[in-house]
Amino acid sequence: MSVLLSLILITSLTSCSGVKQLEIFKKEVPREKLNLNKPTPLELENLRWIIITSENAEEVFKKLEEQGIDPVLWGLTDKDFELLAKNFAQIRNQLKITNDLLDKYKEYYEKEDEQK
Amino acid sequence: MVYLAQRQLIMLGIRLFFIGILASAVIGAGIYVMKLRSDNAILKANQIKLESAVADQQELITSQKKDFEEILGANKKMNELVGLLKKDLEDLDKRFNKKNRDVGKLAIAKTESIERITNGASALATRCIEIASGSPLTEKEKNATKKSEINSECPSIANPNYIPY
Repeated sequence: MSVLLSLILITSLTSCSGVKQLEIFKKEVPREKLNLNKPTPLELENLRWIIITSENAEEVFKKLEEQGIDPVLWGLTDKDFELLAKNFAQIRNQLKITNDLLDKYKEYYEKEDEQK
Repeated sequence: MVYLAQRQLIMLGIRLFFIGILASAVIGAGIYVMKLRSDNAILKANQIKLESAVADQQELITSQKKDFEEILGANKKMNELVGLLKKDLEDLDKRFNKKNRDVGKLAIAKTESIERITNGASALATRCIEIASGSPLTEKEKNATKKSEINSECPSIANPNYIPY
């Protein structure tokens, strides 16, 4: 009887304190790729600027008529022309920055995907 | 006689009791050793997992360092580009207002020549927008190194090999 009691006591005591096995979970689920195509680069038409002064105005309109073009012009003062040029330069700069930014993101994340 | 038999019985009981304790101790020790061995095996497995986790962390740190360097590089390049584009814009402003230049008066005085210059600059500016939108550079644009060869409207993006002098 005492043997049985001792056995039960020892077994229960030794089973109380144990070392637990570590469980490390690692599950990687890749995000779906966006895969948007880059916009096609622009192909613009060249404009023709005509300068009209009080002295050459008649001659300019006459030339237009001779070329079969309606004798009508949209005008800008020299200051407005300057502003137009600067506005376009700013749009161009913004376009370049945005485009390069897009390239950098693509390069960074797609290279990462390739490495994986 | 009865007393002797009783005494022997008690002695036998005591002996059995001690034998029982001894046997329990031996069996308990055996079980304990087996448990220790099992714990040891688990600890070894844990150690291997921990070492692997440390190696993974090290790899992650290295990869993060590389990423940070790449991010810094990209930021630097973007800042350089912004600086160059700003310079292009300042150059355009200079072209209009250099030394109190009045484009309007110049256009009155030299109408044909200013018209030709305006159309030339307009064509170059149009090309600049195409490049900014992602159009690839031509060989001529890539190889331009002289002032006479460059796109004066946006040399920073049109002529990568041009160094202003």
